[in-house]
Amino acid sequence: MRYGAVAVPTSDLHPISSSRVNRPAPKKAFGAESGCHENLSTSSSEMRTQIGKKAHRLPRGHPALEPWPSDVKLYQPYEVEQILLQDQANSLAVQVFLRMCGLEFQVEMRSNAEHMSPSGKLPFIKCGAFVVADLDPIVSFIANKGINLTDHLDAAQKADMRAYMSLANNILGNAELYISWCDENVLNEVTCPRYGSVYSWPLNTLLTWRKQKQVTKKLTALGWITKTLDEVYEDVDHCCNALSERLGNHLYFFNDRCTELDAVVFGHVFTLLTTPLPDNRLASIVRSYPNLVEACQFLEKAFFQKPTANTTDGDSDNFN
Amino acid sequence: MQTAERNSPETTAETADVPLQLSNIKALVEKINVEGLGRTKDDLVIKTIKELFEAKDFQQVVLKSQEVRTKLEKLGCFKNVGVFIDTSKGQDATSSGLEITFTVKELKRVLGGINTLVGNNEGSLVIGSNLPNTFGRGEKLQVEYTYGTKQSKGFNGMFVKPLHNKANSILTSSFYQQNSEWPSSGYHLCEQGISLDASFDSVPLLRHSVQWEGVWRELSCQSRTTTFPVREQAGHSLKSALRHVIHYDNRDSAVFSNRGTLFRMVQELAGLGGDVGFVKHELTYQLNVPITNDVVLQGSFQGGFMKRLNDEKMIYICDRFFLGGPHTVRGFEQRGIGPQSDNQALGAQTYWAAGLHLFTPLPFKPGHGGLGDILRTHFFVNAGNIDNFNFGDNIKESARILTDRYRLSYGMGLMLRLGTVARIELNYCVPLKCQRGDRTHHGVQVAVGVQFL
Repeated sequence: MRYGAVAVPTSDLHPISSSRVNRPAPKKAFGAESGCHENLSTSSSEMRTQIGKKAHRLPRGHPALEPWPSDVKLYQPYEVEQILLQDQANSLAVQVFLRMCGLEFQVEMRSNAEHMSPSGKLPFIKCGAFVVADLDPIVSFIANKGINLTDHLDAAQKADMRAYMSLANNILGNAELYISWCDENVLNEVTCPRYGSVYSWPLNTLLTWRKQKQVTKKLTALGWITKTLDEVYEDVDHCCNALSERLGNHLYFFNDRCTELDAVVFGHVFTLLTTPLPDNRLASIVRSYPNLVEACQFLEKAFFQKPTANTTDGDSDNFN
Repeated sequence: MQTAERNSPETTAETADVPLQLSNIKALVEKINVEGLGRTKDDLVIKTIKELFEAKDFQQVVLKSQEVRTKLEKLGCFKNVGVFIDTSKGQDATSSGLEITFTVKELKRVLGGINTLVGNNEGSLVIGSNLPNTFGRGEKLQVEYTYGTKQSKGFNGMFVKPLHNKANSILTSSFYQQNSEWPSSGYHLCEQGISLDASFDSVPLLRHSVQWEGVWRELSCQSRTTTFPVREQAGHSLKSALRHVIHYDNRDSAVFSNRGTLFRMVQELAGLGGDVGFVKHELTYQLNVPITNDVVLQGSFQGGFMKRLNDEKMIYICDRFFLGGPHTVRGFEQRGIGPQSDNQALGAQTYWAAGLHLFTPLPFKPGHGGLGDILRTHFFVNAGNIDNFNFGDNIKESARILTDRYRLSYGMGLMLRLGTVARIELNYCVPLKCQRGDRTHHGVQVAVGVQFL
């Protein structure tokens, strides 16, 4: 990885670096440690009845109601050479969400994933004949099949969850964009080489320049362009503070069961902790909230590691 | 006394019937004036009119001065050229000397215009302006903006420099941007590029073009329903290609040809830079044989073959060949033959198409000068095949593969000529042979265009 030379403080987290992740949901491997899956397996019968209940939203025989196919693929840019902060966070959020739901999928890396996506947002999944991009549409798409993680929430909690998801995506997501595209250091050392790595000259310079203009325009519309880097770091700090307070000393945000909010926060926290940047202030800000880090580590162990019974070295590289 | 003899009735009666032979009158061009020159360079004008000094008799002078006048008009510098032949006057004049004056009117510095253009199944409006005779030697600088009926938009800027030599060489450099929609494949293409071209005649009527083109293409899906194999190709690519074109056309008319052949071969090597790499050959051949005064038999053939250059460079869907439609194998939808996915054409790397046409005048023979000139009926048989064939070394086997699952259609129709460049065809087509997945069109097909199979 062509990053600036800053040593990443050792932690239990490993950056996701494999090119292909083929991980069917190992339902039987999870024991009592993982509260989320215990609940999933015991409530599977409840889920089945709920599928029947939810199905009345769509007409019978609607293709979206078909069971989850076995060849679903998730598309994202190349992990090692190309992907940037915000796309990495979004992709991880979707991946962990799908695993939380116990749905099988494969990760496919394409250099043109951004252009393949119907809305331009990443990641996107191809499920049968459907192509759905971005976490919220994917959550709705899966909800139409009768699978969701928020049944145990009441209306107030659901509103709460939406508010926190919006907070995480707006603050952390835009901060990731700002730092990638508006900070000179990061732009020249990290973003430009990575974004242009999949194109030949002179397209690499042209397209990077064009993308920078687009991102700057978006951040101007959101009012972020006038912020200084310190203000951005402050905003990230406040956001992590709010999330940390809500999390408290639990592992999940709501009722000790995982929801989309856990997925979103996992995506951002993991990315910010494991992406080496010329200035590692972001990582240190996030690290100053140990409960967030712990929740992230817990989710990583639960959904991205092989079951320890089958591996000789539990600490080694998580993926083949 | 001499006068009286000349006028005597006997002598005039004998000499009155001898016709005047222009070729017997000795003449020499002693001086050529060119009036009206402004920015046109002298050396170009001198080169063009020089041959007039070689004329030996009056007939040659008259014919050559007409030729020179046509050449001057074709230089691209002048609007009107007038010729005035007079006997030479002045001190050095001889008795058979002639003085020729060309009066030229130079083109204005800036010209503009709005034109319409007819393409294949598309009409466009072209708004352009050009600077003719920019530097005095017939160069042209031109900028055009095109807006088409199928939402295709584009502009191009071009600089043309003719070399005015025997081979009629012309150097062209241009940059362009072109947006086009391809609903039969579900994508929208935006191309921006530069191209350099050198064209020349190696023998008369055989024109070569050597071109280099660098194009930045952006492919995007037209809608959410675009099929996934096309969606996988969305994005940016860069093509840097060398191309050689040979063109030979001795037909009497490109639109309603009565006799002559057309031969065109294009060879393209992409991959010197960029991420697109292939070698492509494409051939077009057309032979017209007049059977009687009005009936013409035409045979035509098109074929193409492309191969990926190496493992690092790719071939994109916009580089591939497509077959089917009212301009190629009639009786099928646009791009309706060959690999398809969800009714959208994916294209392939090898194809051939052949057609046999019989053109006849309208049944009730309105004759010349009326509808008969611009309307014709035609009967046709079209065949073709397209796929990503895997050819081995055996030629017989390859030939068998190519013809194994060919498509066939026949029909008849009416053709209407639009000016000298395009025609409208109204055909009733019957597809005879097709393969599973092809999109056939049994019935009436209408097409406007310049090039047809």
